Amino acid sequence: MQLPFGYYPVGNSLYPLALDLFMPTVFFFFFGAAYRTARYFAFYNKPFVPYTSSLRGISTREKIKDLVNTFANSSKLGIKRKPVTTAAGLLMHISLIVIIFLLAQHMVFWAYYIPPYKVLFPLAIPESSVDGELAFTRASLPLTPTPYPFVHDIWGPLTVILNGQYITYLLMILLGIYLGHKFHILGERLALRAGDWWFFVLLYIDIILGFLATSHIPNNVVDYDNLLGAHILVAEILIATLPFTRGFHMFEFYLGKMREWYFTVYRRGEK
Amino acid sequence: MTQAIAEKVNMDALKRAIDEVFYSQIDSTTLYYFQSCVNCKACEVACPFTPTSLHYSPVNKAEISRQLYRYRFSIWGKTIGKVIGGSKKYLTLNEAETMVDYVWHCTNCGACMFVCPMAIDSGALIDLLRQVAFKAGMVPKIYRDIADLEISGKYWDVDFFKNAWNSLISKIKDAIGKEVPLDKKKSEILFYASLYEAMVYPDVLVKVAKILDMLNKDWTFMSKPLGIRPPIGLVIGDKEGAIKVMQRVYSYFTDISPKYVMMTAGGFEYPSLRYTMHETFKVKPTYEVVHVTELLAKWYENNEFEIEPLDEIITWHDPCQLGRRGGVFEAPRVLMKALSKKFKELPSHGVNSFCCSRGGGGCGVPTMVENMAKTLGIAISEDDKKFLDSTIEPLIKAGKIKVNEINKVKAKEVMTGCPVCIESIGFSIDYYHANSQVKHIIDVLADRMKVNKK
Repeated sequence: MQLPFGYYPVGNSLYPLALDLFMPTVFFFFFGAAYRTARYFAFYNKPFVPYTSSLRGISTREKIKDLVNTFANSSKLGIKRKPVTTAAGLLMHISLIVIIFLLAQHMVFWAYYIPPYKVLFPLAIPESSVDGELAFTRASLPLTPTPYPFVHDIWGPLTVILNGQYITYLLMILLGIYLGHKFHILGERLALRAGDWWFFVLLYIDIILGFLATSHIPNNVVDYDNLLGAHILVAEILIATLPFTRGFHMFEFYLGKMREWYFTVYRRGEK
Repeated sequence: MTQAIAEKVNMDALKRAIDEVFYSQIDSTTLYYFQSCVNCKACEVACPFTPTSLHYSPVNKAEISRQLYRYRFSIWGKTIGKVIGGSKKYLTLNEAETMVDYVWHCTNCGACMFVCPMAIDSGALIDLLRQVAFKAGMVPKIYRDIADLEISGKYWDVDFFKNAWNSLISKIKDAIGKEVPLDKKKSEILFYASLYEAMVYPDVLVKVAKILDMLNKDWTFMSKPLGIRPPIGLVIGDKEGAIKVMQRVYSYFTDISPKYVMMTAGGFEYPSLRYTMHETFKVKPTYEVVHVTELLAKWYENNEFEIEPLDEIITWHDPCQLGRRGGVFEAPRVLMKALSKKFKELPSHGVNSFCCSRGGGGCGVPTMVENMAKTLGIAISEDDKKFLDSTIEPLIKAGKIKVNEINKVKAKEVMTGCPVCIESIGFSIDYYHANSQVKHIIDVLADRMKVNKK
């Protein structure tokens, strides 16, 4: 069957389609981001600042220290009072960032569109702990008798845990916990939004598709192209809808915390 | 209670209230609060009402306001949101009932904002619902009557109040051995107190006056209070009423024109009179509103007095409005460390201080509210009684956490700077038979100060 978006030489697969849709996705993302940002400007009222304290002013150094605390407080308190979900959340975020931006295959993709990205190549994380070999399809565990020097990577022995395969396993488990948590919320009749499902389910599907593609399951070129294409397409849906979903928190997080710090520390001029 | 209120709801008034509040109050800050929540539920751990039920977690309570926002301010909310239940134009009776229940299970303590990874102040969104409830006539009558008395200024016609205030002035006169300087213009310090404080801890106020006199400060006191606990309107969702009271307060402060307006209460009146009042009127005051601990810490660091330390473990409870909302953390600690070398922090302190679960949301300790109503001759209806009873459970649940923390540090004395914190923590200490006492810091400090002669 010929796909309606044009002629693609590699077996009518989703892969070239996904590649063709990348730039429109980026455009759509910027359009959405501009819309979201413009709304903030449209509703902006300059806050009136009556005064700052003359009694117990704090030094610039302390203000900066408080800025760090402002960002860290949520995790610090969460670890104390909700250790499991907080640890799972933190680990999930770290894993996602690492795999999106530092997995070797992803880096090649980013560098194609943004060439300066190449400077980060030395940090590339291999797909598996045994160099570029597909450990999964070779039915060999990452902990193979392969000698360390065989792993040509800046991470060295760390690649035993810092590799695409393990991080993907971890992500599937952690996102699974989060999805389970959503079902728990549903059962308890607590606030649950359609956007929660949209983002988590799509992300979960995307990770599975990426995993299957990179692991060559099933192991033939047509399925590989389709799986890889589907992986990129789902990622594009996530990117395009970021400004309209909870995904935008990856940008607004900084805005919110800076605002909190400005109004509660900097503006008051006291502690 | 809530069912009883809901049955009396004027649905048209409720719809008007929803429209008015949600169309009039959107700005970039509330917009951010509305649309940036990722529903991660990190705020659960900070809320004093979550131990009662997860339904009272900040994100869950604030979701009602998000649904109303989405319908009005987002394309998805007006289209798909309606179909999948993500947005609502108005609320049904049952939803209104839930909303009323939720708004009285939030003290607006701000703990959720500091623990939220996105710094979202859910209290601000719940406050919008409180304003809706007020405009729709769904505020418990007992609170509305007390607030109305304050707004009208007729509290001064109540003999009980007048006697309490005049008796306080007499006690201060006896303590300092001379006439109390009243309404003196251009004094360095205007010693500000509310009627509520005059009733719950007159001794603390007398001690403050004594300290000011001992330190030979140029101070003045108010011949009449400016409200029962102004501006009560802010905590029951009556913004317009609160503005009337704040106008009275601002006018008096401006007329006296001191250098400092010094408060002993670190409850909601602290940030209200320090920040909200001036932000609302858009005025830069010629004075600075401060908590008594701020001035005392400054004077202590200037060696104006010494403190004879205690030999026991003491701890400080950060009142939410004084600390998180007001930004005062260090000053009380300067004094606490001087008061005892065995000063210990509670496990939850500073911006993470665990709220006593009363105060800002209007839910005072039920017995205290009941007594005040009786004193004022306000009839307590069956609905009011049920409502007040329903506020006991959160107090007990949050109190357990607070008492466990106090027991953990083995503190003999818990000091704080807010009358409602004293009432509620005192309740919890009694309820759980803890071996501790809760006091206003002045209560202890005043007796251990030694003035340095210049």
